[in-house]
Parts: sequence; C-alpha cells; structure tokens
Amino acid sequence: MKGRHYIGLLALLLAGLTLSQGSPFQQRLQQAIQSGGSKFAEAMKQDPDQALCSQYRDKIPAALVGAFLERQRALIKYPADGKLMGDWKQGEALFTNPRKGNCYACHTGDPKEPGAGTMGPGLVNYGQRGTSEAVVKYTYDKIYNAWASMPCSLMYRAGYHGILTPEETAHVTAFLLDPASPVNAKR
Amino acid sequence: MRDRSLWIGFLLALGLGLSIALTQTQELDPYKEAERQRELFRQTAGILPGELYAAQGEELFYAKRGPKNTSLEACDFGLGPGKLEGALTQLPRYFPDTRRVEDLETRIRSCMINLQGFRPEQITREDIKALTAFVASKSSEMPINVVPKTSQEIAMYNLGRELWFHRAGDRDMNCAICHDAYAGGKVRLSPVRSPRQGLSNEWPAYRFEADKLYTLQDRIAFCYESVGIHPPEFYSEPYIALSMYMLAEATRGKNNFTEMPGFTR
Ligand code: HEC
Ligand code: HEC
Repeated sequence: MKGRHYIGLLALLLAGLTLSQGSPFQQRLQQAIQSGGSKFAEAMKQDPDQALCSQYRDKIPAALVGAFLERQRALIKYPADGKLMGDWKQGEALFTNPRKGNCYACHTGDPKEPGAGTMGPGLVNYGQRGTSEAVVKYTYDKIYNAWASMPCSLMYRAGYHGILTPEETAHVTAFLLDPASPVNAKR
Repeated sequence: MRDRSLWIGFLLALGLGLSIALTQTQELDPYKEAERQRELFRQTAGILPGELYAAQGEELFYAKRGPKNTSLEACDFGLGPGKLEGALTQLPRYFPDTRRVEDLETRIRSCMINLQGFRPEQITREDIKALTAFVASKSSEMPINVVPKTSQEIAMYNLGRELWFHRAGDRDMNCAICHDAYAGGKVRLSPVRSPRQGLSNEWPAYRFEADKLYTLQDRIAFCYESVGIHPPEFYSEPYIALSMYMLAEATRGKNNFTEMPGFTR
C-alpha cells in the first residue's frame, strides 16, 4: 500500500517534471518547434491557459476549474452602450463569414444554410429559450469567450482573440436570439 | 522517354480542366462525391491523376540525375537499398546514415542530396511530390506498420503526441480537440477521423477539390492553415513527429493504407 503511494507520487512528480517549462523534454519540444521556422514558432506561442489545456490534455482537474473559469470571465469585455443584443442582420454576416465568426464550420443556424458542421450543438431555434437578461448574457459570454463557461472547449474565444469586437459579438448574439432572425423563423 | 513525359504533362493539364468542370456539381455526401469523381476520371481520362503523378515519379526515380549523375535506385527506405515494396508502411523510422528519423518525403530528399549530390535549394517540391507518389504506390492497401522502437523513434513519437495536444493561435486549436474529442463530427461537410480510426492512411493523395497531389506534410500544413497557424517549413521535425504519432496510433488501430496514391476531396 505504502509502496503504491510512493510510486504514484513519483509518477506525479515525473509528470510534473516533463511538463514544466525548463525540463529537458520541454526544451526538446521548443527545439522541434523552432525547426519549423520562425513564423510557425511565433504562431505556436501559448498563453498560460492554452498551456494548461495542453498540459492536462484538455481535461482540467476539478481543483483547478474554478480559478480557470474566473480568469476567463475576467477577460470578457462588453459594448460601451451596454447592449448585448445588436442587429441580427449584421450578426448573420459575421456568423457566416469564414474570416470572422465562421460559426457554420461547427454549428447549424439558419436551417437553409447547406452543409453546416456538426462539431458543436445545433443552434436551429436557439431563440426558443427567450431573451431574458440571463439568456442574453449567457449567449454573449459564450460567443465572446467560450472558455469562461467550458474550460478548453473546442469553441475558440472569438472576442478574447479580437476575431469579434464587443459590438460584433452583440450582433451575433442577436442573430441567435432575435425572434425575427431566420434561426428562429416559424416553420 | 521524352514522349512519355510530354504525354503525362498533357494528361495532367487535361485533368486540371476536367476536375474544375466536375467540382461545379456539388453533392452532399463527401464519400459518395469522391467515389463519383473517381469514376468520372476513370471513364473520361482512363487513368487517375494520382497514377499520373506516380508515373512522373517513376521516371524521376530511375533517371540519372544530379551532379553525381545517378538514379535513386540505391536509396534505402529502411528495407534495404532499392526495396520499394511496402516501404511506406514502416515510415517514419530512424536512419543511421543521416542520424535522423525521416518520413518518406524527407527520406527521398536525403537520397537526392546524398546519392545524387543535389544541394537542398536545387530540389523542387514538385519532384519530391511525384517521387513520393511513386514510392507510395508500392504500398497500396497494405497494413500500416509504424511501431516506434529505437530511442530516437520513441522520442519522436513523444514529441508528436505533445504537438498533437499543443493549443495555440487565435482559434485556440490543437489537433486532438478536433480529431479525438469530436471524431465522428463534421466541420462543414467534412467528416473528422481519429488516428486510431486510420487518420492519415490515404496520403499522398490527389485532392479533387484542390486539383493537386497532397503529401501527408501538405495535408498537415492544410490543417494548420485552416486554424490560422502558419505551417512549419517542409521536412522539419513537427511534420515527422506528428506523422510518427498519427501513423503509430493508426497501426494500433489495425488500419491499412488506402489505394496509393489516394483519391479524396
Ligand atoms: C470549432 C467548432 C466551433 C466553432 C467554430 C464555433 N463553435 Fe460554438 N460550440 C462548439 C462546441 C463544441 C460547443 C459546446 C461546448 C461549449 O459550450 O463550449 C459550442 C457551444 C456553443 C453555444 C452554446 C450552445 C448551448 O446550447 O448552450 C453557442 C451559443 C455557440 N456555440 C455559438 C457559436 C457561435 C455564435 C459561433 C461563431 C462565432 C461558434 N459557436 C463557433 C463548437 C464551435
Ligand atoms: C478545427 C478542427 C481541426 C483541427 C484543429 C485539425 N484538423 Fe485535421 N482535419 C479536420 C477536417 C475537417 C479534415 C478533413 C476531413 C476530410 O475531409 O476527410 C481534417 C483532415 C486531416 C487529415 C487528413 C484526413 C485523413 O483522413 O487522413 C489529417 C492527416 C489531419 N487532418 C491532421 C491534423 C493535424 C496533425 C492537426 C493538428 C496540427 C489537425 N489535423 C488539426 C479538422 C481539424
């Protein structure tokens, strides 16, 4: 029993060692990344929470989740006028544009859009949940920073990375929630 | 000989026009669409584009070229000099002569440098792709057999696994989150597979949507690009490490290569 504990501890220590920044393995990894050229190496730089997701293979241990979510929530910025629901028509263009939201890569939305992806939950009729303050804020926050409610989600932090500005995030929120949006059209 | 290259060049040019015409009719099931495109090529040109690239590669392989005026017949892909049958199935692997773990593309390049005397900057990507298609054609539909054994191979596998999970960039991506966590899902119309399900077993392949031959390095670069990360330079370690990881996992999943070169979207 005692022996097992000891082995477990040793394994943990070793894991920590191979993953910590200065370990020989990390140095070797950096060397491999550098061999791909300076542009690749620059693009592969991580922020601390990206590094944490890599370290834990996208499954953050329960003990670290609270602090993780808190750090991510603190990154969310809101439009100056405080309105979290903007214009759904502008939102539709941003939702569709591959260089902006690119949301159809992973989600359905307007059911008329051909070939929408299925990596994320379907968003047809998303507006059924209403437009209460809580629903609007949840939706805005999810789009601005998906990691503030789901650590290491597949969904990228569009607002945090500047892919969508706060105003643009509000437009996309409206595309999902506005009863007049094709996402919520009566069928 | 000359006539033959002309003929291949002509057919490749023809293929170009053909597939542009073909891709205009969009169909929703990507597997059926690939099958349909393949049949159309067979019927109209009588040959698949991948086979043309392989034929070009075959000419290059046996031609005396480079400052040393030799062919690539003495190139050892790990099974002995000139042994091509099944060569792709056991790559990447460690090569004592270059003291590197090399994949098929990198190995061909090393042989062009060491046997034919080319300087690295003289070697074109097009030649490497054609040669890769030719050598790969000798491993068509064979079981993948990449098992890291030497310390260098095991180290390369571990690097590959670490890169596989490395989240970075504006789109917060790593390979695992798409190809493991959401394998079975679709990005737009494209179904996503995991390494255990055989990911990477169809390359090099002709991609009809791009009307080009893609090697495995080209395909990995494409995934990096599509998530906004500037891809590594060709023949660098990230490609070899990721290929080692994916193909070793595909070996564990008991997968075969598809027809080689592959034909896909
Ligand atoms: C790479 C795939 C991907 C992309 C691109 C993506 N998402 Fe998501 N999205 C997901 C996944 C996976 C989830 C579920 C996990 C989570 O909540 O983070 C999700 C969850 C959501 C949810 C919560 C759904 C619910 O029922 O609570 C909303 C809303 C959403 N996404 C909107 C968007 C919008 C808007 C965009 C474009 C700006 C977008 N997503 C882009 C993968 C993606
Ligand atoms: C946003 C999700 C996503 C990410 C991240 C991603 N891929 Fe892909 N990958 C795809 C899609 C979609 C395809 C196309 C599948 C198809 O059309 O068959 C694909 C195709 C591939 C293929 C060829 C398909 C096959 O079946 O052989 C390889 C190899 C591959 N990816 C490797 C990688 C590697 C390595 C990484 C990390 C550097 C990566 N991918 C990151 C979504 C992703």
